[in-house]
Amino acid sequence: MQIAKTQLDRLDTVNLTNCDREPIHTPNCIQPQGVLLVLAEPDLRIVQISENAPDILGIAVADLLDRPLGDFISSDRGDLMQIIRGCLEHNFENINPLSLTVATAHEAPRNFNGIIHRAPSGEIVLELEILTAETGEDFFQFYRQIKATLAKMQTAENLAALCDLVVNEMRVITGFDRVMIYRFNEDGHGNVIAESKKDNLDAFLGMHFPASDIPKQAKQLYTLNWLRLISHVNSEPSRLVSNYKNPHPPLDMSYCCLRAVSPAHIQYLKNMGVTASMSISLIQKQQLWGLIACHHHTPKLVSYEIRTVCEFLGQLMSTELATKENNENLDYKLHLKTIQSQFVDRLTKSTDFATEITADKEALLALTGASGVAVFDGDDNIVLIGETPTEVALKSLLNWLSDRIEQDIFVTDTLPSLCPVADEYKNVASGLLAMAISKAQNQYVLWFRPELLQTVTWGGNPDYLTQVEEDGSLTLFPRASFAAWQEIVQGNSNPWLSDEVEGAIKLRRAIIDIVFRRAGELTNMNLELESINSELDAFAYIASHDLKEPLRGIHNYATFLLDDYGEALQGDGAEKLQTLLRLTTRMESLIESLLKFSRLGRQELRMNSIDLNSLLENVTELFGMNPEWENCTIRIPRPLPTVFGDRILIEEIFTNLISNAFKYNNQPEKWAEVSWIESSRHNHRCVNFYIRDNGIGIREKHLDSVFRIFKRLHAPSKYGGGTGAGLTIVKKIIERHGSKIQVESTFGKGSTFSFTLPIQKGASPPSPLSLADRGSKMLFSCSPLLQEEGLGVRVLETSSVINIKK
Amino acid sequence: MILHKTKQASSCLPTKGEKIKIPIQNTTYSMESYTQGLLTSHLDDLAHPVVMIIEDSDEDFYTFTRVTQNLDILKRSLYKFLRFKDGDESLDYLFREGDYQSLNAPLPVVILLDLNLPGTDGRDIIKKVKQTPHLQMIPIIVLSTSSSHIDIQTCYQYGANCYMLKPMGVLEMQKTVQILFEHWFQLALLPSYGQFIV
Repeated sequence: MQIAKTQLDRLDTVNLTNCDREPIHTPNCIQPQGVLLVLAEPDLRIVQISENAPDILGIAVADLLDRPLGDFISSDRGDLMQIIRGCLEHNFENINPLSLTVATAHEAPRNFNGIIHRAPSGEIVLELEILTAETGEDFFQFYRQIKATLAKMQTAENLAALCDLVVNEMRVITGFDRVMIYRFNEDGHGNVIAESKKDNLDAFLGMHFPASDIPKQAKQLYTLNWLRLISHVNSEPSRLVSNYKNPHPPLDMSYCCLRAVSPAHIQYLKNMGVTASMSISLIQKQQLWGLIACHHHTPKLVSYEIRTVCEFLGQLMSTELATKENNENLDYKLHLKTIQSQFVDRLTKSTDFATEITADKEALLALTGASGVAVFDGDDNIVLIGETPTEVALKSLLNWLSDRIEQDIFVTDTLPSLCPVADEYKNVASGLLAMAISKAQNQYVLWFRPELLQTVTWGGNPDYLTQVEEDGSLTLFPRASFAAWQEIVQGNSNPWLSDEVEGAIKLRRAIIDIVFRRAGELTNMNLELESINSELDAFAYIASHDLKEPLRGIHNYATFLLDDYGEALQGDGAEKLQTLLRLTTRMESLIESLLKFSRLGRQELRMNSIDLNSLLENVTELFGMNPEWENCTIRIPRPLPTVFGDRILIEEIFTNLISNAFKYNNQPEKWAEVSWIESSRHNHRCVNFYIRDNGIGIREKHLDSVFRIFKRLHAPSKYGGGTGAGLTIVKKIIERHGSKIQVESTFGKGSTFSFTLPIQKGASPPSPLSLADRGSKMLFSCSPLLQEEGLGVRVLETSSVINIKK
Repeated sequence: MILHKTKQASSCLPTKGEKIKIPIQNTTYSMESYTQGLLTSHLDDLAHPVVMIIEDSDEDFYTFTRVTQNLDILKRSLYKFLRFKDGDESLDYLFREGDYQSLNAPLPVVILLDLNLPGTDGRDIIKKVKQTPHLQMIPIIVLSTSSSHIDIQTCYQYGANCYMLKPMGVLEMQKTVQILFEHWFQLALLPSYGQFIV
C-alpha cells in the first residue's frame, strides 16, 4: 500500500477498517508553511514547537523550548504578554490576527501573522504564518466585497442560484482554480451541485462521490472547524517537539490552522491532480450539510484575512441554507400543487378519468416526478406514457400488486427486491408508486422510476476503493481515476418524496370526488326524472280524461244533431257530420294509443317465467275466433322456450306482430312463422326470436321509419287503417325487456322482425328509467368503490350496468 | 242546493221548464222531453226512491238523460233522478250538512258517480261514503271516461260497487246505460228494497 509508506510512521496503517477511527485531530504535526507553538501558563513558556521553527524563525528549537514567548516576540499593539494574559479567560478570537515580530540575534526581525487560541485539551496555541504580499491589504476592501456578496446572497432566488453565486464569489476572492459546492445526501454520499472553474479543467458538476470519501470523524471535525487549508500536498509535515520527560497526550489540533491532514486525504487530492485545497463547512442544524471545496493545481497560501472572509461567507451561506432550501421545497411543492390543481380542474369537467389524466402526458409524469406511467382504466385498456415495462409485464405486475396494495397507495424505491420478476425491467421500474382507484374494477395508475444506476454519474468507481490485504484486512485505496463511473446500485431508484406521493393521493381523491359528485348528480338526475315522470303521468291523465271529455261531447252532439236534424240537413250536410264523427273517433283512438305508449314507458313490469307455447296457443285461438283472419296461419316449427318477462306485454308483442303480418298481406294464404334461435349474447341466457311473414314487405327506405309513432306507410283506407302506433308499442315493450327489435324485409315477398328475450331471471333486466348515458359509465364502473367507501349506491338498471357487473 | 228556490238552478240542471241553450245553428233546444223521472229539486218527491247522479259535465249529463229516454224500464219504474254538479254539495246532501241541514228526506238508493269533479273528487266521495256506517250500504256506480287501471283499482279499493266506462259514441252509451239500468234497477235487489212501494 503506497500511501502508508509516504507518511509518518504513526499514520502508515490507515486502511478502511480504521479509517473511521484515524485520529485526524491529533496528527502531532503541521503543514510547514508556518510555525506552531504551545505555550504554558502563567509565564507563556514555550513547551512544544514545530520542528520547522529554525527554518521560519531563524532560531534553533533548543533555544526556544522552555523559554518564555516574550523573549523572542513583540507585537505592534504593545506588550504581547499583557495582551495574551488579558484574553486567557476570554475569547482569543477578538485579538486574531496579531501582527508579530520575531527578533533574532543575527538577522533582521521577521514579521508574522499570529493566531492564538486555546485548544480543547487546554493548551494555549500560537500559530505563526509568514506575512505574504497580499496580507495586510485594506480590511475595508474585504468588507466592501463581502457586503456586496451578502446582498446578492440574500436576493438569490433559490438554492441553485445561491450556490452558483457563492462558488463564483469565492473563486474571485481566493483565486482558486476550482470552487465547488458539495452536498451530502441522506445516505452520506455526496454530489457536486455548483462549480466555478478554470475553463481548461474537467467539470465535476453533477458527479456523485461515495460516503467513504469523507470519513465520519472528518465530518465531526468539520462541524467544529469551519475552514481547512492544505497549501501544498507535497510539503513534508513538520512534527511537534517538546522537552516532556513523561508521555504526554497529543495536542488536540481541531482548531489549528496549520494542522497536517490525513495521508489518505493527501493521496486522494494527489490522485485528482490537486496541489492545494481549502474547504469551508456548510452547517445546518448542527449537521454538516455540505462543503465549499476549493482546488488549486499549484501550491497556494491563503492569508488569514482572506480565510476569515471565506469562513464568514461559509457561515452566511449556512444561515441562508434553511431559507433557500425551504424555498426550494416550496418551489417544488408549488410546482406539484399547480399540476395537482390543474388535474383537479380538468377532472371536474370530465366523466372518464383515464382519458382526462392521460391528456397531458408530461403533467402526469411531473405530478410525481416519474419517468414512466401506466394507467389501467378497468376495461383491459392500458395507457403507457414514458419509460415503462411492457404491457405483458405490467399485467403480471398488477397481479402481484393487487394482493399488496392495502391502503390504495403502494410506494417503493426497490421494486426488484420485493418483486423478483421486476428485475427484468429494473432499468425502467426500480421505483414504483402505485395508486388504486378501484381494485374491484381493476383501475390503477402506476408511476415508475428508473434504476439509480442509470442516472448517477460517479466521480470514480466507488467499488474500487478497497482491497483485501494478505492479513485479511481491507485497505483503503484512494480513487485512482476520476473518469465518470456508474455505481452499481442494483434495483434502486431515487426515493419518492412525500410531496410526490401526496400528488398521487390528491389525484386519487380528485378522481373519487368526481365519482361521488357524479353519484350525486345522477341522484339529482333521477329525482328530476322521477318528477318528469310524474308530470308525464299527469299529462297522460289529462290526455285520457280532460282531452277526451270534450272530444266525446263533440262526438255525441254531432250524433244528436244528425239524429234530430238529419233530414233537415239533407245529404251533403249529413255526410259532413258523418265525417266529423269519423274524425272524432280517429282522434280518440290516437289519444288512446298515445296514452298506452306513454304508460308503457313507466309502468312497472311484472316479470315472470312465461311458457311461450301456451302463450302462443292463446294468441292462435284469439286469431282463430276472428273471422277477419280467415286464410291466415300461425306457423310454429319448433317448440318455443320459456322466457322471462311481463306476460301481458309479451303477448302484445306477438299479437301485434302477427296481426301486422296478416294485415299487410295480399296473399290468398297468409302465414306468419314464429320461431327462435339460441343467442350468443349474454352467455346464452337470451334467445333470439323472429316472426316471418309472406306479406307485402317494406321498402328499404321505410325500414327505419316503421317504428316511428303514428307513422303509416299506407293510406288510411288501405290494409284496415290503424293508428300507426302498433310497432312503436312493440318496440317499446322489447326495449323495456332490455332488448332491441330489428326488421329485415324484401319488398313484395315478406318481412322478418327479430328480437331477443331473456330466458333467465336477471339475464337482462328491464330499465325502470331511460337514463342519459353520460356519466353513468363512470358511476357504474366505480360503484363498488363507492360501496367500499361505505356509500350506498343506487345502481340504475340498464343493460350496460349488467355488462359491467358481469 | 238549497231549500230556497233562488238557488236551485245552481245544482239542478236542467231545471224543469227551463231551456238550455245549445249553440248549434243558433237554435234553442228543449230538454223537456227527455227529463222523465228527473227531479228538479230534492224536495220534489219524497215518496219515490231517489237515484243520485253526480256529474259535472252538462254535455255528458245531457247525453245520459237523452239516452235514457228510450229506455222502457224507466217509464215503468218509480225511480227519480237528482243531479249534483260538484263533490262538496254532494257530500252536504248525503251528510245533511250546510244547506241540507234540516232536510228530512230518505237517502238516495243508488249513487251514479263521475270521477273527476270540481272540488271534492269522486274518489274521495267513495272513500267518505264507504267509511260512514249509515251511508256505506248505498251502492256506488262509477261512470268514468278513465280506463286507467289505477283509477279502476282505487275506486274498488275504496269500496265502489261497480265501475263502468263511458264509451265513445251515443249508441254505445245507450247500450251501456241500458245494461246498467237493467242490472241495477231490474235484476239487482238494492238495500232500499221494501222501503218504497214498487
